[in-house]
Amino acid sequence: MEYWNRYTETMPREKLEKIEFSYFKNLFTYGKSHSPLYAEKLKGLEVGDLKTIDDIKKVPFTYKEELRKWQENVDPFPYGGLLGVPIEEVSSFRQTSGTTGRPVYVPESYESWQWRIEAWCHILWMAGFRPRHRLFLPFGYNVYVAFWEAHYAAEKLGCEVVPGGALDTKGRVNKIIELKANAMAGTPTYILNIAQEALGMGIDPKSFGIERILGAGEPLPEATRKRIEATYNCKMFDHIGSTETCGFAGMCEAQKGLHIIEPFFLVELLDRETLSKEVAVGEQGVIVITPLGRRSFPVIRFNTNDVAVKGPSQCECGRTSHKLMEIVGRVDDIRKIRGVLFSPKAVEQLVRSEFPEIAEYEIVVTRKDIMDEITLRIEVDRKLGKEQADEVAKRLGERHKIKTNLSCKVKVEPEGTLPRYDLKAKRFKDMRGDH
Amino acid sequence: MDEIRREIKNIEASAERIKALADGNNAVAKNASVILTFVYLLKFLTPSAEE
Repeated sequence: MEYWNRYTETMPREKLEKIEFSYFKNLFTYGKSHSPLYAEKLKGLEVGDLKTIDDIKKVPFTYKEELRKWQENVDPFPYGGLLGVPIEEVSSFRQTSGTTGRPVYVPESYESWQWRIEAWCHILWMAGFRPRHRLFLPFGYNVYVAFWEAHYAAEKLGCEVVPGGALDTKGRVNKIIELKANAMAGTPTYILNIAQEALGMGIDPKSFGIERILGAGEPLPEATRKRIEATYNCKMFDHIGSTETCGFAGMCEAQKGLHIIEPFFLVELLDRETLSKEVAVGEQGVIVITPLGRRSFPVIRFNTNDVAVKGPSQCECGRTSHKLMEIVGRVDDIRKIRGVLFSPKAVEQLVRSEFPEIAEYEIVVTRKDIMDEITLRIEVDRKLGKEQADEVAKRLGERHKIKTNLSCKVKVEPEGTLPRYDLKAKRFKDMRGDH
Repeated sequence: MDEIRREIKNIEASAERIKALADGNNAVAKNASVILTFVYLLKFLTPSAEE
């Protein structure tokens, strides 16, 4: 088994935890003295109060809303009280997407960026990316962190990186073929769109010769992962990260959950009700992260609002890091519809595993009088006639009811009606207003 | 790992020395700083549980 850093990746848990606790205390001290946010937030708490790793629970969570607040009208512009180094040391700017409010502006010093890239090298190496790969990145990267990390990390570990921005999907298909790219990274949605575009051009995506794909930016249900593998005849891997926290976990060759990149990150999975107890293996918990070596933007115990299932720390790959078995979704995405908890991920899992005829879909929730209604808008394979499309719709409605305990309407839309996404797909639209 | 850690410290000392000797030479000073960034990473990648 090849590792990126055998020393830390196979380290006994006890040692790993000791090191993480030591790194946590260093960051705590650094944050208190360099970040206005933490100088204020950690008042009254000293590093000496952290005697065991359990004591980190004394440190309050950091929420995204706080990050926003500490940047609004606070100098230095635009990073405000979150900046952990002199502004002259900032060498690159990134920002969050702003889907849930005002974007957070993230400063990276050269050191912090390299630290991020190093964490990402673990993710790529673990997923089997090697110097022999010509990696095509089908995306025009800009102020968001998406693909910058993949680009720099792949370059560092020796891949040949092809930036695939400023092309439409057809152009990207042609470029993949022209350059014989043998690896890709992208959102699962867009990876499927590329395949669909190729099929429309009369090209089988299997003929590309893509060996490996890394999913980014969206949850990757197992059914979608397998569908992409079958579509391209390749191996598909997942990872998770965010602008605030960096990429912090990735999938190994065993493809059973995501290894946390330790000791780069201290990841806690806490019970959803009280956020005070670490959940047991197999249970769902809210992900709370501390990136342990990033000084330009110190973030301590960041509550991501993402929910994951805790995995074991044993893996056939020999790594000893803790694992996240499944990313359930964001706490905000899980809604109550007609009194039943509903996760849009369940629909994706259903569509991708049982309905290869469905090319695109969208979930719309509305309220009529006092009744919530779910409508699944679908586009089916262009080769299907009306009768077959109606049959798919009927079957989807029935399976949806069984899988989610909620009935729904299914509407077949003409080809090209539903939006296509090359970054984060927004297939869930809750129009009720007061959810 | 101890031997690696010793070498990292040697690199750190050399890079600090080059920076001090740079005497206004921006290129030399900057490249020595870049070495120190990677020293930081090397230290992070080779931690001792005993420290």
